[in-house]
Amino acid sequence: MRLGLLFLAALGGALLQNPAAAEERTVVPKFVEETESAGLDSAYTGEWEYMVGGGAATFDCDSDGFPDLLVAGGTSPAKFYRNASEPGSALQFQEQESGLELEGATGAYPFDVDSDGITDLIVLRVGENIAMRGLGACRFERANERWGFDGGGAWSTALAATWEHGAEWPTIAVGNYIDRREQIFPWGSCTDNWLHRPAEGVEDKFASPLPLKPSFCALSMLFTDWSRSGTPSLRISNDREYYKGGQEQLWRIAPGEAPTLFTEADGWQRLLVWGMGIASYDLDFDGYPEYFLTSMADNKLQTLADIPEGRDPRPAYTDVAFAKGVTAHRPYTGGDEVKPSTAWHAAFEDVNNDGLADLFVAKGNVWEMPDFALKDPNNLLVQQTDSTFEEAGEIAGVASFHTARGAALTDFNLDGLIDLVVVNRGDKAQLWRNVSQDTGHWVQVKLQQPGANPEAIGAWVEVRRGATVIRREITVGGGHAGGHIGWHHFGLGSAARPALRVLWPDGSASDWQELEASNFYIVKRGEPAEIWAAD
Amino acid sequence: MVRIRHILSATIVVVLTLVGTASAAEPARGPDALRAWYKMVLELVRHTPTYSPPVASRSFAYLGVTAFEAMASGSSDLHSLAGQVNGLTATPLREPGAIYDEAVILDAAMASAVRSFFGNTGPTGQRALEAIETRLSERVSAGLPANVVKRSRTYGRSIAAHIFAWSETDGGATVENMGFPLQYELTNGPAHWVPTSTIGQQQTPLLPKWGENRTFAMPDGMACPLPAPPPYSEEEASEFYREALEVYETVADLSEEQRTIARFWSDDPMLSPTPPGHWISIAWQVLDKQEASLSDGVDLMARLGVSLADSFIRCWQSKYEFDLVRPVTYIRRLIDPDWEPVLITPPFPEYPSGHSTQSGAAAAVLTAFFGDDFAFDDATHEDDGLPARTYRSFEAAAEEAAISRLYGGIHFRAAIDRGLEQGRCIGAYATALRTRI
Repeated sequence: MRLGLLFLAALGGALLQNPAAAEERTVVPKFVEETESAGLDSAYTGEWEYMVGGGAATFDCDSDGFPDLLVAGGTSPAKFYRNASEPGSALQFQEQESGLELEGATGAYPFDVDSDGITDLIVLRVGENIAMRGLGACRFERANERWGFDGGGAWSTALAATWEHGAEWPTIAVGNYIDRREQIFPWGSCTDNWLHRPAEGVEDKFASPLPLKPSFCALSMLFTDWSRSGTPSLRISNDREYYKGGQEQLWRIAPGEAPTLFTEADGWQRLLVWGMGIASYDLDFDGYPEYFLTSMADNKLQTLADIPEGRDPRPAYTDVAFAKGVTAHRPYTGGDEVKPSTAWHAAFEDVNNDGLADLFVAKGNVWEMPDFALKDPNNLLVQQTDSTFEEAGEIAGVASFHTARGAALTDFNLDGLIDLVVVNRGDKAQLWRNVSQDTGHWVQVKLQQPGANPEAIGAWVEVRRGATVIRREITVGGGHAGGHIGWHHFGLGSAARPALRVLWPDGSASDWQELEASNFYIVKRGEPAEIWAAD
Repeated sequence: MVRIRHILSATIVVVLTLVGTASAAEPARGPDALRAWYKMVLELVRHTPTYSPPVASRSFAYLGVTAFEAMASGSSDLHSLAGQVNGLTATPLREPGAIYDEAVILDAAMASAVRSFFGNTGPTGQRALEAIETRLSERVSAGLPANVVKRSRTYGRSIAAHIFAWSETDGGATVENMGFPLQYELTNGPAHWVPTSTIGQQQTPLLPKWGENRTFAMPDGMACPLPAPPPYSEEEASEFYREALEVYETVADLSEEQRTIARFWSDDPMLSPTPPGHWISIAWQVLDKQEASLSDGVDLMARLGVSLADSFIRCWQSKYEFDLVRPVTYIRRLIDPDWEPVLITPPFPEYPSGHSTQSGAAAAVLTAFFGDDFAFDDATHEDDGLPARTYRSFEAAAEEAAISRLYGGIHFRAAIDRGLEQGRCIGAYATALRTRI
């Protein structure tokens, strides 16, 4: 690890590729583990059917602004923790009965399915998936029958959700894995992924699920507007260990039309990886998201190969993981450096508030695979001013040697710094508080719009700092078996008065409005952004 | 030349009376078990991360010898390979006068050997191994006296243990980081290999010491030598440049049929049973169609496995001796900086083509076994959506496998042609093994 570079101030202009960072310096992030003191005591347990999964979901279900937490337990019941932290203080969680204590859970994704202003969750399971309707005060009830949600009986391992144009009800894609009844020759037995679209002519119900054929053992899915056409496509990362004739997939999901795959004729390039997680972020500030795909050994960082003037881009990507220093293909410490790594959840967040997204990757052996690192520390890859990344997991204090799966990066104590929770297979989940010093400014926003899709899934939030516009797509999906809804965090570096606008899911754009850095804002459609503060 | 012997009626119970040993076997149980184990092995090769083509070839050799010796130990027909292949000593003897069941012996030997060679496979492979072991064990031992089953199983395992102990000393038993060394010093100069991808793990070449492994039927790793490749040159009139231009122009004008051929023989590790597994698969398709006897099955698996393993040892020795640059590096440097080959360039030196060498060897063994001009269909990749292809002979298939590397843009002509020649030479050693009494 070239730690020295982490401390460097900005280099000379000739080396800089990142216009956002010219005047910034890279602060080394620091985390302290507060698992026990915070009251977190949950492990993801189970054997073969639970070698994948182990997600975490973060959402605010008691309307206090603090993200609450659901941790999948595998064969153990999932555990719900209400966030009892004080602003800026040590993290505190209280395990609380919520109705979410389901066995067989591999993960969960939170969002407001029925647009009633209360967060709901879809819990993925080995067996029937269960839609859990939020009742308020962090209580949930089963809603499969109420919403016509067919939970199936597969081994579910991925989810993505969107609101198709004009729809009053969401569309949910569920990724399913191996046919677990196939004991001797499970390879090639991938079960169908399902697309749950709104029922026609019936309010507040899903139609019967549509199989997405072919399916190739999905471990991560994301509805994402990769081409900025205004209509998200469904990107699926598949585990090549189990498919035959498969590859990574990009589905065209157009309202009222049957899903179709992007093909080589469209520009889509055949890629076969042990796909386990997707993270996306517009790293190069060109308006188009980059995609990080986790795998075994090398991971991928994809950027559009060509963005033609005046025409939509084709879905052809260049892998820049090596050039950017994010292959993360083997451990950087711990004694197992001679073996390749195994990567799962990934997420981009700016952990040091310098205006540049950093990358967290959860690592962990599949299950005693001796050719892969057994001591496989999580990565915290900090983006440098030249747009490359440097490993900081060890110095930041998050280099756990447990067998990680899912994770969530969010600001649990509302101090402007992104904290971290990691779900471990066969071990306790771990919680770290971000205690970095001398970080830059930040701003966090929560979107609200009237009617359907109140959280504005599919919107793009743009934050301007100086000449640079940071863009985040608001999505449900990706990562590994878990997601976050609520505050969207932007690091600002030295920018004290950033500007913000929202490109709402229907394509309309708000005006730019100036914000005060280091504040939380509620952004209601058609209204000025309002500062929010914890009671 | 060994010719196919057709299987006897499945309903006949054959009692083989050997010198000092009595054995009972229902013919169908043995071939079924052998076939089932190889089907599993072809999946495990694909799904075990260390199984690059050289590593796969090694296991095919030891598994083939295990099955062969398990059967030869009680056969009046088969002749042990002990003393013929390098370092293999006489296998354990059976109890004089005791009754054994050949299918149980074979199943136990294969179960034990597969467990040994694929002990590092992932959780799904382990689960599959446990399931198939239970199912086959129940099937082959059904209706047999318990003492015969126990004795046969113990004996089969002792054969596997003997072969595995032999394998431990060949130099190829330990594979770290999927075969990519952490440190490797590149040879200076434009003629030599440099990394061809941006995969972090593949910035060093695959298994640079593999050519030093103990060979099987070849006397050593220096047998079947190759002439040097055309002298490196950047002159447009040079043979080297012409060969590079041939790759470039072939890829530029690739027909759909050529593209299909390139993909059919791509045989990428972790995405297929690998090139040696492809030939094992071909052999099984032919054995099945011929309803081959158990003796022929184990004979062919031993010979073919040995020839494939020798091929990779010899080929790898040559690769690192000449350490030649890949077409993608040369073409991008001198002809077209944006050039992309059809196939992913493998992460090791170019000369000779490993697929060509091992295909030449495999074809030599299969031709000796089944005869010249033996037409067959190859459906190895049907599950992956690639339709079966038909060949008029094993040699024709080997030639197509070899030229596929030109269509794929990953080898020059010399590596292909000479690789095939090297393979034929290597195959002759396996063909010369005495397997029949």
